[in-house]
Amino acid sequence: MTALAANAGQGRWWQSRTVRRFTNHRLALLGVTMITLLTLACVIGPYILPHDALYIDLHARFLAPLTGDYYMGTDPLGRDIMARLLMAGRVSLLVAFFAMLLSTLIGTLVGVIAGYRGGWTGVALMRTVDGFLAFPSIFLLLALAAALKPSPAMVTVIIAVTSWMEVARIVEAEVRSLREREFVQAGRMLGLSGVHIMFREILPNAMGPIIVAATLTVARAILMEAYISFLGYGIQPPLPSWGNMLGGAQQYLATAPWLAIIPGVAITMAVTSFNFIGDGLRDALDVRDDRV
Amino acid sequence: MTEPSNSKPLYLRRDVLGVLAVGGAGGLLAYNLLGKSDSTPAPENQNGQPSAKRSGEIVVGLSQEPTVFNPLMAHMETDDGVHFSMFDPLVRMDPEGIIQPNLAIEVPSLENGGISEDGLNWRIRLRDDVRWHDGEPFTGEDVKFTLELITNPKFRAWRTAGHSLVREITVVSPTEITWRMEKAFAPYLSFLTETFMVPKHLLENEADPNAAAFNQVPVGTGAFKWGKRVPGDHLELVANPDYFGEGPYIKRLVFKYIPDITVLYTQFKSGDIDLVGQVYISPDNYEEARKLRGKVVEPVLASSVEAIHLNLELPQFKDMAIRQALYAAIDRKAIIEALYHGVPSVTETFMPQQSYYYNPDLPKQEFNLVRARQILDKAGWVPGDDGIRVKDGVRLSFANSTTSGSHLREMTQQYLQQTFREIGAEMTIANLPSAVMWGDFWMHSKFETAIAGSTYLIGADPDVTNRFHSRSITAQGGSGSNNAQYASAEVDALLEKGSRIFDPEERRAIYYRVQEIIRRDLPILPLFQNTNVFGRSATIKGFEANSNTRTESWHAASWHLGNKPTGSQAGGYPSGGAEMANQSSRTEG
Amino acid sequence: MSRFLLNRISQIIVLLVIVSIIGFIILNLIPGGPLAQYGLDPGMTQEDLDRLKEQLGLNRPLWVQYLDWAWRLLQGDWGNSFRDGAAVLDVIGRHLFATLLLMGTSTAIAIAVGTWIGIRGATHRYSTFDHLATVGAMVALSIPTFWFGLVGIYIFSLKLGWLPAGNMYSIGDQSVLDYLHHLILPSIVLALVHVAVWSRYMRTATLDVINQDFVKTARAKGLSERRILMKHVVGNALLPMITLAGMQLPGILTGALVTETVFTWPGMGRLFLDSIGYGDYPVVMGLLMFSAILVILGNLIADIAVAMIDPRIRLS
Repeated sequence: MTALAANAGQGRWWQSRTVRRFTNHRLALLGVTMITLLTLACVIGPYILPHDALYIDLHARFLAPLTGDYYMGTDPLGRDIMARLLMAGRVSLLVAFFAMLLSTLIGTLVGVIAGYRGGWTGVALMRTVDGFLAFPSIFLLLALAAALKPSPAMVTVIIAVTSWMEVARIVEAEVRSLREREFVQAGRMLGLSGVHIMFREILPNAMGPIIVAATLTVARAILMEAYISFLGYGIQPPLPSWGNMLGGAQQYLATAPWLAIIPGVAITMAVTSFNFIGDGLRDALDVRDDRV
Repeated sequence: MTEPSNSKPLYLRRDVLGVLAVGGAGGLLAYNLLGKSDSTPAPENQNGQPSAKRSGEIVVGLSQEPTVFNPLMAHMETDDGVHFSMFDPLVRMDPEGIIQPNLAIEVPSLENGGISEDGLNWRIRLRDDVRWHDGEPFTGEDVKFTLELITNPKFRAWRTAGHSLVREITVVSPTEITWRMEKAFAPYLSFLTETFMVPKHLLENEADPNAAAFNQVPVGTGAFKWGKRVPGDHLELVANPDYFGEGPYIKRLVFKYIPDITVLYTQFKSGDIDLVGQVYISPDNYEEARKLRGKVVEPVLASSVEAIHLNLELPQFKDMAIRQALYAAIDRKAIIEALYHGVPSVTETFMPQQSYYYNPDLPKQEFNLVRARQILDKAGWVPGDDGIRVKDGVRLSFANSTTSGSHLREMTQQYLQQTFREIGAEMTIANLPSAVMWGDFWMHSKFETAIAGSTYLIGADPDVTNRFHSRSITAQGGSGSNNAQYASAEVDALLEKGSRIFDPEERRAIYYRVQEIIRRDLPILPLFQNTNVFGRSATIKGFEANSNTRTESWHAASWHLGNKPTGSQAGGYPSGGAEMANQSSRTEG
Repeated sequence: MSRFLLNRISQIIVLLVIVSIIGFIILNLIPGGPLAQYGLDPGMTQEDLDRLKEQLGLNRPLWVQYLDWAWRLLQGDWGNSFRDGAAVLDVIGRHLFATLLLMGTSTAIAIAVGTWIGIRGATHRYSTFDHLATVGAMVALSIPTFWFGLVGIYIFSLKLGWLPAGNMYSIGDQSVLDYLHHLILPSIVLALVHVAVWSRYMRTATLDVINQDFVKTARAKGLSERRILMKHVVGNALLPMITLAGMQLPGILTGALVTETVFTWPGMGRLFLDSIGYGDYPVVMGLLMFSAILVILGNLIADIAVAMIDPRIRLS
């Protein structure tokens, strides 16, 4: 027996109810549009802009936006902010995306096994989750940052290590409640193996919260990267990231506010897009009304 | 389906909310009842400054919290402000670098017999009108106790250098004390300017002096007495009316801890703090700060030098040509002018300009990329395919580290990276958090290169054995701070000689030569000498900076507010220009 | 129930032990330590540093140091700070008040405002209010808190001069009014994210319940909208809220960290940062244990609440 997805065997996937509901969600579409544009800008932008993101020109420091062809002004080292912003976007978005993949993978695995198995396995796994949660993320952050050489890869790992627990909890709670549902019991009666039930029956039905959680994890990862780099431990100069651009702008708030405003707006836009998408997904995947 | 009962959840929710509300409000109320201080109504505002709304009080803002109040225990510069205000050393060093008597009636020297010809026997004569804050008289017994406590193996003392050479301390009378030095050690007099006296009668019976109650509520002889402390936030000192010296003229001296430099500056602007302490005002804010109304902002020469430290054990740096080429590829002028807004000044040496021993005739560095490339070409370093020079299989590539989050330094690093690339040197940036950077990584020479702002002098004495003597290389089994792993027989000999001679003229010649050699060998590439931007409210009079101490609050006894009588303090407050002030500001964070 | 408690208690003990051991190891793996701050002091020789290291007991093998610390902890002695010698419990306690004040105020604001927004949004689904609230919440969640705080300081403190730029109080004037004055900006900044979170969860949770059969039944029976709301929806929407509250409890330590940094609020978050930076091992270990206890409490509250409310979910 296959998973009882609401649209099993009903035409092409893009015609499915879920996708239709998603596309009806205006904010979600806005989010998708925003993030697509942003990503395109980050990928193509640095190639077509007149200035190099890394070139230091001490005679062009602190130029306000729209001075000459410095559309967003220059930073304290005279580098073009727009070019840096877009290059930083690449770094920040990539780091956030991979951190999300990693943490969702780990979190889902742990959550599904713990939620389905229950008993000692479940308890042990969830206590491990608690153990990780017991460490303030700052502690893990500083410890890892001090012990490892900071690089985009390391930052990804650090963010993933501090994010998977939430996913695990959500998944575990969801699986735990799904476990008692009729179709699972039916599957058990049919003699299907635990692994089969976990990953072919329960998981697809739990995909909803997982996808939503994943989307929100990307959003959170962007913010985390910003925070880590802001503190000075994340992406190292001269490689720009939205976080370290903000970090270098703090003290110039009174004299050169655009240094802080522009990256802050970029971060907000990116994170908002993911939040919109996540919300849209949540509504679209809300299959409760359609349960057989 | 049945209706789930809902009485319990509601109860739970009310509970949660209730706890939070009660906790918040109750705590607030309790604290208000307990913590209300004597809020004296604001007197007439002088110059309309909000800082004068508390009568007779000056608030100093510090970006690192003072936590060690026993001046003999290991501590940081930030604790010095409190120590100088609460305690006294035997002798003081004034802003001009001249040692003045303090608790001692006269400064011991060869002329007055205070120090014997061979430098081994010392005699100190003390004042007889000094009392501890608890009323007990200060005597030679306290001096003996203090010196012995420092070398007590169970005591977590700060520096023991010099003190460990003291033998046979004899209290001849309550106002006279003598001792013998194991060997002649000229810097010791300077060390004594930073050695504060602690009371014997309060510490002698402590089983563990490290955990004595005294360390939380100290008692000294200074112009200010211990008031109270709110850990993590601020501490208050109150005036000592029986102080033997000049002042104090204010009722309360408050040290407020504000961990963020930007916030520190903001609170200075808004008048929440009256005087900016370590780490002072960032050069970025200098232009704006200068123009603030009702504030006095002035750059003050520090005694620390910002330099690139090279690890001489790395194959790249063993070649003198590399060091010379790198030095010629540093655009110091641009860095100082653009990044640091012209605040610090160039220097060719580790010796601060205001020191008597500063050598002004050292060859001046010139930013010349062409010449740098020529040097490298001549030395056989050939650019590879990626533009980075190679010789004998060694790439001219190295990492540069400093405290992460130190913005000005990071900008300097990035700029250096760019200019170094133009001569074919690859510098990567690898910054670390402060505690990691200056731990073993620095002290055991595990870095490749580092940017550090260090004070090479101890107590303003020119003896830099700790920094440049070959025996001071920790990484090679020695003991000291020769982190660059520099070894020169000639410098070794000179340093040894210099620490044995007491005559300033003779010593000067020796240290001039040391500076010449260091400049030639380039174990460090000096960038500039630090200048701290001091800021204070214009209502504070009697403030003077002293670069021979590590704190701005070295003489809070002479500070007073507004239009009060000037009394007998020396020279009012300095106006503009580079004043001599010795601040060993170690890093920006 | 008692078997559940027994089980739980043994799990708690195991958790605490594991957290403390791992935390201790990680702490000692971080290069630096309490003596790193003297690295640039020209007067400190390696001998001085070695001497200090030994006097602080840092020369002993790690497992000895750990057991010593654990043994003392069991006897109620949490140790003394390396920096000023004060008892670790005292240090934590003092900072705890500041954090509770800040978190308490902002959570109160968040709950009050967030709940109202969330329920209103759910009951008037797809209305203008709902749309605005949804968009607003998501934007609020997307704004980096430290950035928001800085902008807040810039506008309200630097430009307008209405509110203080930081601190919990002004020295010399510690009246209730003074505290409140200083509390406004940081608690609002902190509340921003919390309002968004609570309103979102409240909306979702209310929606879930509204759509369930028993509410439809009750509506069909003709009970007034109001009563349905109050009795069923709110009561049952509490399930995720309690879980959420439980999950947020450990956040006391680091939840306000950013805000505390920006506003120099003398709370636990800042204590944590400072202690790690200075290698103040006793305080860091104390804070770790504290954090672990909070997590346990949080879980306990959440799980008990969940079990009591929904009997289908068995406690195992």
